Amino acid sequence: MCSYCRTLFLLAGGCLVLLLSACASSLSETPAQLTYPPLDFTFPEVETRTLENGVQLYLKQDDELPLVQVTALLGSGTIGVSRDLTGFGGVFSETLRTGGTAAYSPDRLEERLDALAANLSAGAGALTCQLNLSVRAEDLQEGLAILVELLRRPSFDPDSLELARLKSLENVRRQNDLPRSVAQRLLRASLYPDHPLGDSPTQESLSRITQDQLVDFHQQHFAPNNLMLAISGDFENDALLDMLQELLGEWTPHETAVQPLPPVQASTAGAIQVVDKELSQTTILLGDLGLTKDNPDMYAVRVMNYILGGGGFNSRLMQEIRSNRGLAYSVYSYFQIGRKLPGTFVASTETQNASVGEVLALMRQIIQDLREQPVSEAELRLAKDSLINSFVFGFDDSHAVTTQKMRLDLFDYPADYLQRYRDHIAAVTVADVLRVAQKYLQPKRQQIILVGTAEEFSAELVDFGLPVRQVTVEPTP
Amino acid sequence: MKRFSRYVPLVLLLVLIAPLSLRAATLEERVIEHRFDNGLLLLVVERHNAPVVSAYITVGVGSVHETNETRGVAHLLEHMRFKGTKMIGTTDYAAEEPLLQEVWALGSELDRLRLAPEKNREQIGLLEQQLAELQSRHKQYVVKDAFAQIYSENGGVGFNAFTSKDLTTYLISLPSNKLELWALIESDRMRNSVLREFYTERDVVREERRRSYDTDPGRRLYETLITNAFTMHPYRNPIIGWHSDIANLTLEETQAFMDKYYAPVNTVIALVGDVQAEAAIDLVERYFGHLPTGIPVPQVAAVEPAQGGEKRVVVNFDAEPRFSIAFHKPTMPHKDDYAFDLIDQILGHGRTSRLYKTLVEEQQLAASVSVYGAPGSRYPNLFVIDASPRHPHTSVEVEAAIYNELDRLKTEPVTEAELTRARNRLLTDQLRRLKKNSGLARTLTSFQSLAGDWRYLATYGDEIGKLTAADLMEAAATYFTEQNRTVVFLEKGDS
Repeated sequence: MCSYCRTLFLLAGGCLVLLLSACASSLSETPAQLTYPPLDFTFPEVETRTLENGVQLYLKQDDELPLVQVTALLGSGTIGVSRDLTGFGGVFSETLRTGGTAAYSPDRLEERLDALAANLSAGAGALTCQLNLSVRAEDLQEGLAILVELLRRPSFDPDSLELARLKSLENVRRQNDLPRSVAQRLLRASLYPDHPLGDSPTQESLSRITQDQLVDFHQQHFAPNNLMLAISGDFENDALLDMLQELLGEWTPHETAVQPLPPVQASTAGAIQVVDKELSQTTILLGDLGLTKDNPDMYAVRVMNYILGGGGFNSRLMQEIRSNRGLAYSVYSYFQIGRKLPGTFVASTETQNASVGEVLALMRQIIQDLREQPVSEAELRLAKDSLINSFVFGFDDSHAVTTQKMRLDLFDYPADYLQRYRDHIAAVTVADVLRVAQKYLQPKRQQIILVGTAEEFSAELVDFGLPVRQVTVEPTP
Repeated sequence: MKRFSRYVPLVLLLVLIAPLSLRAATLEERVIEHRFDNGLLLLVVERHNAPVVSAYITVGVGSVHETNETRGVAHLLEHMRFKGTKMIGTTDYAAEEPLLQEVWALGSELDRLRLAPEKNREQIGLLEQQLAELQSRHKQYVVKDAFAQIYSENGGVGFNAFTSKDLTTYLISLPSNKLELWALIESDRMRNSVLREFYTERDVVREERRRSYDTDPGRRLYETLITNAFTMHPYRNPIIGWHSDIANLTLEETQAFMDKYYAPVNTVIALVGDVQAEAAIDLVERYFGHLPTGIPVPQVAAVEPAQGGEKRVVVNFDAEPRFSIAFHKPTMPHKDDYAFDLIDQILGHGRTSRLYKTLVEEQQLAASVSVYGAPGSRYPNLFVIDASPRHPHTSVEVEAAIYNELDRLKTEPVTEAELTRARNRLLTDQLRRLKKNSGLARTLTSFQSLAGDWRYLATYGDEIGKLTAADLMEAAATYFTEQNRTVVFLEKGDS
C-alpha cells in the first residue's frame, strides 16, 4: 500500500506544478493540465487454509452476483508422459471431463451440469492440470460434489475416451487450415527440438493412448496433497468449509510421481523456414527461447519488450510497421515467462506476400537498434508508467485475484512478489534495457517462420544471412 | 482501430441477442440513467470492489448505414478516429493543417489516376513519389499514436474499438482516479478528430482484411454466407469492405460519415466501476454537454424480400471441409426472436444439446457444430448453423442429419425439461456476462443502442418465460424451410 502511494506521488509530481497554473474549477484543456486524486488501492485479501490431508484452499467472498467460480489446480502436468503419446493431455482432460465418475454415468453427469446451467471445463498442460467450474450460488453444493467426484473417482469411460480421441484426430487433420497454427507449430518444434514442449500430436501418437494410461496418470498425480482449490464468489465461508471437509476430508494423501524436467537445449543457429501455402498474406513469426521466472532480468525484459512490441501502439514494431508504413494490421512481441523451463520470445506479424522482405528487415533492424542504442528516457518512462499504473487491473476480478495467488504459491514465487512488482519495474534503467536487449535478443539464433506464397518473397530471403529451408507440411491423409 | 478491432464479432451478436438477468430488479435499481439536453445518454453503475472504471461509448451507426459507394467507411472511420485531434497527436495543428490539405489533394488525385493504372502509369509513379515526400514532411508534426500514449502512461488498458453492422463502440478501462482524462480526451475526440495518416491507414485495413478474412477459412465461409443470404439489404456487405472498396474510400467520404452521424443524439455512454454517479454526471455534462445535438441516424429503408428459394454456394479454400446454413428470421423485440434464443440453446449449446448429442456423440458424423444469430440485430437477421464433418464423413451427410433435427423441432414439441434448461442457461449466462465492468458496460450500451432501451435486459426473463413449446414449434415450422435457407460449403478446389 505504502509503496504504491510513493509511486503515485512520483508520477503525479510532474503534473502538480502545472496544476497550480491551471484553472482548478473549470474545464481543463489538455491532458497535461489535469490533476488526479490519489488512487485508493489496497491488495485484496485472499483467505488461505490447508485441510489435514494437504488440500490447499484459496477463498475470496464476493457477493456482487449470485455466482461461484472454482478452479482446481493439480501440481502435475504431462511433461513426464512418454513422447510416443504426444497429445495425451488433451485426451486425458477431455475424457476426465466427459467420462463419468463412480457416482455419475457420463450422461447423468451432463444432465446434472446442464440442469444447473453450470460450466465445467478441464485442461492439462505441461506442468499442471486444472478443472474450472462456474455455478449459481444456490447450486454450489452439487457443483462442488461433481467437481470432487471428477477429481477423486473419474471413470474414464471407454466410449468417452474414443470420442475424445476422435476429436483430437480431427484436430490433427485440421491443423493446417490456419496459417498461424502452422507457423506456431513449426516455431515450437524449432525452439524445443527433441523435447516434449516442441512436440505436436500425430495420428500415431493419439492412437497409442489407452484407458489404462489415463487411469495410471490419474492415480499417480491426483492426490489431495497435490491439489489446490481457488473458490470465489457468493458463499458463506463456514458453510463452504463444511462442504469441502465433507467432500474432501477423507481423501487419503499419497506420494505423487515426481515429474522429470528434461533440460531444454537452446539452439545456437538461427534459420528461416518457409512453408509455401497459396495465400494473399504471409504469416511471420520470429522466436527464441526466453526466461524462467527465477531470472531477475524479467522486470527489465518486461520493460524492454514493452518498447519493442509489447506496448501496443507505444511499441516500436507497431509504430514503424503498422502506423508509419501500413504494412501490417497486427504486430507485437512477447516474452512468455517459463515457470520451470525457459519460455519463449516471439515477435509476430502478417503482411502481404510482396512486403515480406521489407517487414522482416524492419523487424530485424528494430531489434538490432535496441541492442545497439540506449532507448530514450521518454520511452522508458512511458513503458514503466504504463506497467505500473495499469497494475490495479490485475485485481479487478475476484476469481483472477484468487487463482493468481494460488499459482504464485504453486510455483514458489516470493511471498512479496506482487507487493514489490511495481518497485522492480520502477527500478529499471536505460542501461538495464540495453543490457537485456543484448542478452535476450539474439538475431543470429532467432528462428524465423514464414507461411505464405513463397515465390513472391523467397528471392529476398538471401539478404538475411541465415540458412533458408523450405518445409513441406504433410497433407492430411 | 487497434490491434484487436474487429467487425462483426459474430460472437458479439450472439452476446447481444441472448441475454437477461436473474437479478434484473437489482440491475434496474443500480443503473443510473441521465439524458443531457443535447440528447447524449449516460448510464452509470457504481461498483467499488476495485479502483478501476470501464468506459464505453457507443455510436448507433455501423456498416448497415453505408451506401454501396461507401462500403467499409464505418470501419475505416473507426480506425481513423485513433489518429488524434486538433490538440492531441500534433505538435502544431496550425502549421500541420496546410500540409494535411496538400496530402489529401494529392492522395485523391492519385486515387483517380489509379482507376486506369495502365494509361496513367507514369503520372502515378510521379505522384506516389510526391506523396511520400509530403507524408514525410507531414510526419514532423505528428505525435505518433498520442491517445494510446496518454492513456497508457495513465494506466489505461484495453483501449480499443469495434465496428459492427449496427453500431460502433470505443472503449477503455482506467484507474478510477483518471476518469476526467477520459472525459477530456473523448469529448475532444467527438468534436475535433483529425483524420491524419489516412492513406497509410487504408493500407492497414487492407492487411486487416487479408488477415481476418482472406486467409482464415472460418471467416471466409462466414463472409460468403452473409453476402449470399441477403440479396439487397445492406447487411450483406462485409463490414470491412472489399479490397477495391477500401482502396477507393476517400477522405471526404470518411469525414462526411463522421460529421453526419457522430453526434450526442446517436451516442450512449456507460461508465461502470469505482465512480460516483452524481460526480460522473457532472463531469460528462461539463465535457460533453456543450456539443451540438446532431441529427439522428435514419432508419435503413431497404427491406430484404422473401428469399423464395434455396441458395447454395461453394467457396474453395485450402482447408478441411466445413459449411454453414442460414435461415432468415425477425430480430428483437419480435416474439420469434425470443423463441430463437431458446431454440438456439436446445439445438446447439452444450453437450446435451440436440445437434451435439446426435451429430457429434451418437452418429459421430461431425467434429463440431455451433449455432448463433448473425449478422446484426437492428434489422431482421439470420439463424445460423455451422458444422465441420468428421473425416471420412462429408458435409452432405452432416447437412442431412441437421435437417432431421430441424424437422423434429417442427413436428414434435420440445420437452418442458428442455425448455426449463434453456431458460436457466440464458439467464445464468447473462449473469456471467455482467461480472466484469467491461461486460456490463458493453451489454448496457449495446442494448440501449439496438433495442432503444437497456431495460430490454430487465424484461427478457419474463418474455422467454411466456414462450411455450408450441411457440417454438411454430417458429421452427415458419422459418426452417428450404425456401428460406442459404447453404455454403467450404471445400478444397480441384486445382
